[in-house]
Order: sequence, then structure tokens, then C-alpha cells
Amino acid sequence: MRIPRGRVRAGAAVFTAVAAVAAAAGCGIGGGEAGSVAAKRSLVIGVKADQPGLGLRSGGAYTGFDVDVAVYIAGRLGVPRSRITFRATPSSIREKSLRDGDVDMIVATYSITAKRKTQVTFAGPYYVPHQDTLVRADDTTIRNVRDLAGKRLCEVTGSNSWRRVIEERKIAATPVRSPTYSRCMDMLAAGQIDAVSTDDLILAGFAADRPVKIINAPFTDEKYGVGLRKGDLDGCEAVNRAITQMYQSGHAATLLNKWFRRSGLKLATSVPQFEGCS
Amino acid sequence: MSGPRTTVTPSPPAPAPAPEPAPPSPPAPVPVGGAPARSGGRLATFVRGRWLKTVPGRIRLYAAAALAATALLLLALTMTIGMARDGVQTIGHDAGPQVVATGELFFALSDMDAQVADVLLIGRESDLGIGKDESLRLYDQRRREAGQALVDASQLAGQDADRQRTVRETMEALGRYERMVGRALVLSEQAAYAPGEPPSGVVAAYRQATDLMRMELLPRAYNLTLDSGATVRQGYEDRRQAVLSGRVWVLLAGALLAGVLLAAQISLARGFRRTVNPALALATLVTLLLAGAGVAVLTAQAGHIRTAKEDGFDSMLTLSRARAISHSAFADESRYLLDPQRADTYEQTYLDKALSVLYIDPGDGPLNLETYYRLVGQKLSSYEPGGDQVDFLGFFGDEARKAGTPQEGRPLGRTLRAYGQVLNNDRLMRERAGRGDRAGAIRLRMGRGPDGSINLFEEYDRALVAQTGAHRAEFDRSIASADDGLRGWTALPPAAALVIAVLVLAGVRPRLAEFR
Repeated sequence: MRIPRGRVRAGAAVFTAVAAVAAAAGCGIGGGEAGSVAAKRSLVIGVKADQPGLGLRSGGAYTGFDVDVAVYIAGRLGVPRSRITFRATPSSIREKSLRDGDVDMIVATYSITAKRKTQVTFAGPYYVPHQDTLVRADDTTIRNVRDLAGKRLCEVTGSNSWRRVIEERKIAATPVRSPTYSRCMDMLAAGQIDAVSTDDLILAGFAADRPVKIINAPFTDEKYGVGLRKGDLDGCEAVNRAITQMYQSGHAATLLNKWFRRSGLKLATSVPQFEGCS
Repeated sequence: MSGPRTTVTPSPPAPAPAPEPAPPSPPAPVPVGGAPARSGGRLATFVRGRWLKTVPGRIRLYAAAALAATALLLLALTMTIGMARDGVQTIGHDAGPQVVATGELFFALSDMDAQVADVLLIGRESDLGIGKDESLRLYDQRRREAGQALVDASQLAGQDADRQRTVRETMEALGRYERMVGRALVLSEQAAYAPGEPPSGVVAAYRQATDLMRMELLPRAYNLTLDSGATVRQGYEDRRQAVLSGRVWVLLAGALLAGVLLAAQISLARGFRRTVNPALALATLVTLLLAGAGVAVLTAQAGHIRTAKEDGFDSMLTLSRARAISHSAFADESRYLLDPQRADTYEQTYLDKALSVLYIDPGDGPLNLETYYRLVGQKLSSYEPGGDQVDFLGFFGDEARKAGTPQEGRPLGRTLRAYGQVLNNDRLMRERAGRGDRAGAIRLRMGRGPDGSINLFEEYDRALVAQTGAHRAEFDRSIASADDGLRGWTALPPAAALVIAVLVLAGVRPRLAEFR
């Protein structure tokens, strides 16, 4: 064709400029919402593997309240159970797992705190457990947290719960070390300690089928949140709506009763106050 | 733009397919610029593309391309301006202000319960603090405000069934709450006790009411505001993104049109040995002005919407949450004194609320009020408004990080100083209660003198309201600028596009006429 060379060059220059602008704009548009849990076809969900009643692995399958909550939320986000992969996320690696994208979502007795909120976007809380105290079924001397003065209290390595009694409230209980809460249960049964104090849902999970009781004297509010990658506000808002529906439909009450009714714990069945997505 | 290849005959494979369509045989040589003689041949001629090689054909092509690009520019501008207008409408005039209004629901509910706690605490000494009558008047006022906010929330929920249900459940629970409060107030009236010594029946009745408030009403109210705020956020993100990508389209369409006009100009200059075609040059100028102004106004709109959302709306919402939670914490002091059996719990909820307003990392120390008082004192005295060093979190931490200049940070600085005073009185009050001096603790808590808790809290509240007002002004300002900036942009793009089109036609017509 007889298009003069100069014009070809000018046309090419315009095209290049246009393409560069379009490419720059494209980056800005695509970056925001990609990878939100609200838009995923399948989900990898972090849960606990060693917490009876909440998240427990046995024979490759995970069971517990947290697991059921995760399945419900995923379902509301359009992900059926068959496309969920559960992964054990111990407390120490939760922030890292989310940051690295090893898991899309964490439902694992994950307390919302101001400090964690700087690294994680929290939906929920989906439940507000309270710190409470577990004693032997025949114990009548401990009726609230102040009665722990002079008693032997389980101090689980790495857990803050005992501090809340002894340091924060300055109650003169004697801490007795234990590597895990399940070991505390054995020590309690054997009379080596008098009480275990931590989140009531954790206590309730252990209490099933043991000769123990929860004293129902809560003294803190925890907030179990759904951990999401920092900045996934779309996902966070969608999960909050799912949690609202879980309570409105009565499904939350069903799940709480299924896992914790036998422990004798007083359960809250109305939707908790959300933290707000940030 | 190579000629269409003719591969119509599938078999047998020609040994050497003709690379170019055979030149059309004999028909009389087409006169330069003249229309083809037979109308049946027109399409064939068009498809063959030979008309392109003719000068008038090329001029027509340029004119058509320029008109198409003008239409594209007009489309991009109109759609994007429409998006911007929509965004300003939503955030500035519809949902934004309504969400802020529903934020008042939490505050109103929480303050109802606070007034009840005060009335029950002072017992027969009905002039203590702001007094029983004033408390009950405030209670009624908050009740009306809550009712109004629920109506707003219901309107805002629209067709959203879940949210409508939350509104309904909240209204229902509010009815139950009022019944319980009524009972507690009657019992209190009958018992006529000294301040801080309510009989167990009164305490039990109040517990029922306040538990309902804390466990059911307040969470729902809070979640409603969060959820409708989420709708505004999503609308904001979508529209801002649309404006930003629309701006790129305006830029592209403008560049395309300018490119076409420039190419036409060059082509005409060569073909007709004239240096400048004035009409086309003017069209190019108008194009550049229109696209440039379009990009500028869209950039400004994106900025206004962003300022309104982030510095206005978000801050107003954050501060209204901070205010509601602070009032609720202040009421926890009354509850702490009213119900000694639950004193530990109310002390803990006070701390939790204080931490959500202003969080300070306790380091290795235990996270209790004692540590908190100490650290807040340190952090607040080292806070410089607008400085980079903000080592606290919570609502005030968020706001402090947003304040980029000392001037922006000043209202927050004032709020924080007042907050420090409130905390100091909380410490003094708990010290007295801890010593067993309940009467002294109640006097301090209900004190309206310069050092009384009520006075200090009111000062803090005024600072918070002033701070919120500064953000409301910022919000109103950016929405007004956005409205101003869009004025005239309904008519301007089509008018300018028309001018460009007329100029293009005016530019090519005389040249085409030379071939008639």
C-alpha cells in the first residue's frame, strides 16, 4: 500500500503510547479485588487439629464447631464442602499462613486483637467466648474467679489464660505447669491441680464425658474471628453477612448445641457484635 | 489492510495460488475520484479496497474515522461523567449521610442503658449527678432517636431481607428491653434506697435489661451500621474505579481522535500542497481541550470522592463508633458501682472498650487497667499531632495515622488530652471503691464540679463532637466541590463533539469538492 513511511511511524508512536496507558490502567484495575475469598471457587481453610469440640483431626478428617462454622461460611460464599481443603494451622503460624497464601481463611479459635488486626483482616467474631473456670464435678469451693486464691491453677506453656487470673487480676493462685490443656485435664482428675481457666468453648470441648464442671462465672470477652488476608474487605464483608445468616437461620444455635450442650455451659445464640472490616 | 484473499475454490489445490487478486479486467478505467459507474459494482469495488488508493476515498475514510473517534470520545466522556455523578450522589447525598444517621442508633441505645444505670445507682438521692429527672428525659429522647434511626436503617436496607430482619429483631428486642427497664425503675422507686445500695431485686431486674441490651440490641445495631457502611464502601470502590478507568478511555479516545485528525492533516497537506487545513487544526485543538478538560475533571472528581469517603465519611463513622463506645464505657463505671458482684466483669468490659478506642501495647506487662493508665499517660504526652510517630492503635490510632499535618491532628490532640483526664478520674474512682469508700467513689463519678467525672467526660465528649464536626465539614466541602466540578458537564461533551464533527466536515468538504 502507498501509506507514506512517516505516517506509519507516527501511527506506531500513537499506538505505543495508547498501549502503555492502557497497560498502566489495567494494573490499577485488576489488582484490587483479585484473590478475595468472596470470589474463589475453592478454599483452603486453616483450623486447629488438637482442640476437641472446636477443631480436631482424627483419621484425616477434621471435626468440631470451628470446622462446621467454616463449612457454613464457605457454603454461603458459594464453595461446597467438596471444594474445601482443611489445613491444620497452629497458633504460631496463623499470620504467616495468611500472608503467604497457604490458607485463604482461618477459623481456629483465633482471637481478634488490636495488634493482630495490623496484619490480618478479621471478619466476625462468629462467637464471643468468655474466660471461665473448670473444676472437678464435686468441687464446691470455687464459684468465681476470686475463689481461685490459694488454689492450684493449670499454667499451659504459651497460653496467656493463667496470666489473666494471676497477673491481670492479681489473684494469688499457684500456677502448675503443663504442656497442653489435655494434660491439664488429667492432672485435674488426678488431684494434682484444682482448676483450669481459659476460654469457655475450649473448656467445654474438653469437659465432655469427664467428671468436671464449668462454674459459669465468665470474666472476660474474647472474640473468635475469621482471619483473612490483610485488605480483603470484600471477603470480610461477605463473611460477616454469612455469619449474620448463620445466627438468623438458627444454624449457629444448632451447631453450638451439637458441640457444647453436654458441657453445661451457658451458650449465647444471638449474633455477636462485629469488629468491622479493616 | 491487505486485499481479501480469494481462497474460495477448495479443490483442486492450485499449484501456485495467486498472491493478489487479479487486477480487474477491462472495465473502463475508473476516473480519479469519480463514483463507479454501475451500482452493482460498488460493493465489489469497496471490498477490493481500491477506492482507498484514490485521494477522495482516503479523505472520506479520514472523515469517517474522525467522526467515529468523536463518537467514541463522547461516549467515554458521557459514561464516565455519569459514573462520577452517581458516585457523588451515593456518597454525598443518599447512602453516605443515611449510614452516618444509623450510626446514631448504637449511641442512642447505649445511652438509654447508661441513663437507667445512673438512675438506679443514685436511688432516692434524685439530685445526684445530672439528676433523676434529667436522666429520664434523656432516656426518652434517646428512645425517640433510636426509633428514628431504626426507620432510617429500614429504609436503607431496602430489599435486603437479612438486614430488614435485623431491623425487625432490634425493634422487638427494644420493646422487651423497655419492659424490663420499667420493672427495674418501679422496684427502685418502691425501695427508695441510699445511693449505691440497691436491693438485690433491683440489681437482678437491671441485669436482665442490661444483658439484653449488651448481648442482643447493641450488637445488632452495630452490625447494621457496619453492613450499610460496607454497601457504601463497595459502591465507592466500584464507582471510583469506573471513573479512573473511564478516564483512561477518555484519554485513549482523545488521543485516537487527535491522531486521526493529525494524519488527515498530513495527508491533505501532501495531496494538496497546502500546509494547514484551518478547520481540521481547530478540530484538533478542540479535541485536545475537551479530552484534557475531561481527564482533568475526572481526576478532580476521583479526588473529591476519595476525600469525601476517606477523610469525611470514614472518619465520621469511626468517631461516632468511638463516641458510642466511650459513652458505653462511662456507663460501665456506673454499673461497676451499681452491681458489686459483677464489678470484675464491668471492670473488664471497661478495659475492653477503652482498648478499642485507644489500644496500647502492654509489652510484657499484664494487660490490665493499672498498666493501661500508666502507658496511656506516657503515650499521650509523647503524641505530636500530625507527626509520623503514632504508637497506639484503636479508633484514635486510625485517626492519628490519617492526620498528616499538625493542623489536621489538632482536634484529635484535644480529644486525647480530654480522654486522659477521663481515664485519670476512672483510676481515682476505682481506687476509692477498692478502699471500700463506695460513697466517695459515687460522689466522684457523679461529680459535676471541675474535677467531677461527669464534667470531665462531657468535656471529652465535646472534643469528640468537635472533631467529628471537622470531618463533617471536610465531607461537605468535598461533596460541594464535586457538585460544582460536574456542573455543565452534561451539555459540554455533546456540544464540543458537535463542534468537532462540524469542523471535520467543514475541513474536508472543499477538498472533496475539487473532485466533483
